[in-house]
Amino acid sequence: MTRSFKIGIFDDEERFIASVKTLHEKGFLIYDVFTPYPVHEIFNMLKRKTRLPTAAYFLGLTGAAATLGFLVWACVISWPIVYGGKPFNSFPSFVVITVVITILFVALGSLAVFSSAAKILPGRENTIFDLRSTDDRFVIVVETVAPDGSDAENAGNLMMKNGASEVVVKKIEKVIS
Amino acid sequence: MYKRKLRGPLIEGDKTLGQITREVLNPMEVKPGKWWYIAMGLSLIATLFGVYAMYVTVTKGIGMWGVNNTVAWGWDIINFVWWIGIGHAGTAFSIFLLVLRQRWRTSINRSAEIMTVFAVLCAALFPTIHMGRVWNMFFLFPYPNTRGPLWVNFNSPLIWDFTAVSTYLLISASFWYLGTLPDLATVRDRTASKVKKAVYGFFSMGWTGSSRQWIRFESLAFVLGGITSVLVVSVHSIVSTDFAVGIEPGWHSTIFPPFFVVGAIFSGFAMVMTLMVIVRKIYRFTDYITDNHMDAIARILIFISLIMGTAYATEIFISWYSGSEYEIFTQFRNRITGDYYIQFWGMILCNAIIPQLFWFKKIRRNWIALLLISLCINLGMWFERYIIIVTSLSKDFLPSSWAPYTPTLIDVGVFMFTIGLFISGILLFLRYIPIMAVSELKGVLRIGDKKDD
Repeated sequence: MTRSFKIGIFDDEERFIASVKTLHEKGFLIYDVFTPYPVHEIFNMLKRKTRLPTAAYFLGLTGAAATLGFLVWACVISWPIVYGGKPFNSFPSFVVITVVITILFVALGSLAVFSSAAKILPGRENTIFDLRSTDDRFVIVVETVAPDGSDAENAGNLMMKNGASEVVVKKIEKVIS
Repeated sequence: MYKRKLRGPLIEGDKTLGQITREVLNPMEVKPGKWWYIAMGLSLIATLFGVYAMYVTVTKGIGMWGVNNTVAWGWDIINFVWWIGIGHAGTAFSIFLLVLRQRWRTSINRSAEIMTVFAVLCAALFPTIHMGRVWNMFFLFPYPNTRGPLWVNFNSPLIWDFTAVSTYLLISASFWYLGTLPDLATVRDRTASKVKKAVYGFFSMGWTGSSRQWIRFESLAFVLGGITSVLVVSVHSIVSTDFAVGIEPGWHSTIFPPFFVVGAIFSGFAMVMTLMVIVRKIYRFTDYITDNHMDAIARILIFISLIMGTAYATEIFISWYSGSEYEIFTQFRNRITGDYYIQFWGMILCNAIIPQLFWFKKIRRNWIALLLISLCINLGMWFERYIIIVTSLSKDFLPSSWAPYTPTLIDVGVFMFTIGLFISGILLFLRYIPIMAVSELKGVLRIGDKKDD
């Protein structure tokens, strides 16, 4: 299905933020915004949230339990050997490896979560609406759905009024994101 | 909060966003100067010499080194600890400052992280070839085997070390790569060359800079930073247990973990300074890596140098206070005086005394002084590991087994291999990957202007 977008391109961060704000308040369908660096005001405005820290927390718990469990199993149940007269279950010396492997679990696990949530994978080609958005432009992409094109026109006018340097229309067959 | 009025802008010269992109990416788009080819050639020659040394080591055994039955750890472990110390640059610099929200890290963190990756790679090489039979290296992994399964000794500091170093390598490489994603995308979107577009497109993994990606990116950076800041402290602490858990005089001491960690951060910051002084000079990046940045690193170095001086004094005092004759002998007869006194006093001079010159503002603003002092610190830290390893081992409890230690050419060769690897890695980085975190620079361009920063 072909989807059509109205794209506003801004040179200036403040005008861009103001424009997102008015578009959002007027109820336009903001598909997403593209910026060269994170703009925190936008996250609040568009109610962007991430549950990555929660995922990391549970990954950490899993990692710690799994590592400690494995160490106890290997040293006490699977093949107990006395090293230097210490007990088989020598918890203090298991702590070191448990801490390190927990960190590894959290790090690799949250990378995987990030990769699937943010759609980041080697060779992936997500749709880029304007090439300059990774350089110095701030880009607002509004999805337009009205069959008569009235919302496209209104969004375009609004963005121009808010100081967009350019407003373009793009029709995209298949949006990857 | 960053007070711009008080501390000046982080990036000088009133740049625009587009200008930052152009200037920072410029070294990737033009042909490198002659110096690049010369440096690359020299480091490749060093690497080739190293390949020969490694070949001899692997085919004939580690008897080709200067190690003997008494001094079983020589240059290999000295260099291992030295490189791991340098490898704390990226994490200590990038991650501690990220977690502490010190925004001046932005123009330096990328180079610090890449140094970490290469330094840890170099470090990991030494324990591996020290095994003698490198092809049996997989014995270190606790894999289910047909010998029982017989597991590795999880109570051994050497296994902790292996776990810590390999985890550190994986995580610091991921952290570095994550940071480069937006910049690789910038290169992808700017280039006209089809090959470059395909390559950087593949490696930028579909980065678009949408708000959905940015919020997760920042969140992940903080999660990784928070969890890895534990690793900054733990890796070298674990390395120090390789020594502290043993009963050799001069090693068996509770001061070792903090002492090693501080030393690691010291050499890491010194190496960051060495590299940054050169990079900002050659690429004329003084607007980005300003005198204030170098000043800040120098101030951190004085502080750490004072801690190092205190640690050396503490070691000497405690060996006397312990009343143990072996400890007293090692410190007073085999370090301060004795066969290795040059290395000992070299260490004190380079680590505790020379960096005190940074108290003077003139020195902190003079690039030649910064370069020389940072090189001194790196040398001093190498001496420190030499003193710790060689003096303790060469003369311990039984005078009948005392032996002197001298390295051989093969030892030097293996060290050259790692130095060549490190320098050529850095050179490739300077050529093919944005030297500074472009997107982060843009984020701090107007820092302190707005209310919420």
